[in-house]
Amino acid sequence: MTKGILIFAHNNPQIDYGLMAIISAGLAKKNLKVPVSLVTDKWTIAWLKESNMYSKAESIFDKIIEVDKPVTKNYRKLHDGFNSQTIPFENSNRFSVWDLSPYDKTLMIDSDYLIFSTVLNEYWDIEAPVMMSHSMNDITGDRAGILDNRVSETGIHMFWATTVMFDKSPESQFFFKLVDFIKDNYRYYADLFRFSPKQFRNDIAFSIAKHIMNGFETEFVYTLPPVFTIFDKDILLDVDKEKLIFLVDKPLDCGSFWASATKGVDVHIINKQSIIRNKDKLLELI
Amino acid sequence: MDERLQKALDFSNYRQTLAIQRKTLKEKINARLTYGCNGGLFKIDQTLIAFVQMLINEGRVENIPLIDINENPILIADLNAFRDEILDRYFSATYEYLEEYQKIKSSRTVEKLLDL
Repeated sequence: MTKGILIFAHNNPQIDYGLMAIISAGLAKKNLKVPVSLVTDKWTIAWLKESNMYSKAESIFDKIIEVDKPVTKNYRKLHDGFNSQTIPFENSNRFSVWDLSPYDKTLMIDSDYLIFSTVLNEYWDIEAPVMMSHSMNDITGDRAGILDNRVSETGIHMFWATTVMFDKSPESQFFFKLVDFIKDNYRYYADLFRFSPKQFRNDIAFSIAKHIMNGFETEFVYTLPPVFTIFDKDILLDVDKEKLIFLVDKPLDCGSFWASATKGVDVHIINKQSIIRNKDKLLELI
Repeated sequence: MDERLQKALDFSNYRQTLAIQRKTLKEKINARLTYGCNGGLFKIDQTLIAFVQMLINEGRVENIPLIDINENPILIADLNAFRDEILDRYFSATYEYLEEYQKIKSSRTVEKLLDL
């Protein structure tokens, strides 16, 4: 059985997802010791070449799979500490991962998910068609809101598509086809499950697919570990060897931070600009 | 030192940083105590270790079904090897926990907590 990791990266004018994918892939490959492939588009490849990162990408990725850049009307407000901007969010082709993955068992991770441990290696042999993270853990433990745990205030449980592991069984194929169907009928499902359709979110589409595939039940059997999350109002300030130093946003105290650090822990850093700012030190870790 | 970090450190609530560091450490160790084996997933804790050792003491060492964290039966062919593996992992994780916990406990400033 072949196993490997797949990362999607589609650049936009504000965020160099290709570079983030190189960092994420390098750390995943180093710590989990499995091959990593990239799904990207010709524009992102062109920028990797122009920014002299393509040879690095070729050395890190097992395969670079070129696809059409997804057409999007999807925008999201992304913070960088207390600054924010509204950016295009090209995330609507994740359903195609089943067809694109060259591996029998695939771990799909977001490009802002940095792997510093071997924890996910414990999950490769589990016989489950699709596994996702059942929850998100905020670094402070108390800033996650109801919409981080459910698709809406009255909706179903939300699983996190930051990490998704799947095999090449017919069941997992149905699952991803269903995600595609939900994406195409997002307004209907938004009405049914009472969430805002303004922004397409893979977490929501995947959660609904999982809910339907489980016979309209929420099931927590065989899930991936919680996604340890650093919000976009937090800042990755520095990287000191394998230690990541964060400024953690103090709720209700605008402009103030707590200091914190992680080491040996897999982290989902939503503040993408702060990953980019620390690219040199992160690339040194690979 | 970066001005924002200096400001954060100056005003940071020591207890909050301590709590975050302890929570992060706990989660890290909990994750390390998860063991995937034969398609099942086990939480390595005192209960599992004691149960496995009891089975070995009773002479039941081959082809033993154990219930994993998802309450599925997982066949363990060689229980001695399984016991050795979970003990190795348990001690490796808990010694690390002890070492890092003591470091945190004895740190009286945010800078020391973060080992800056």
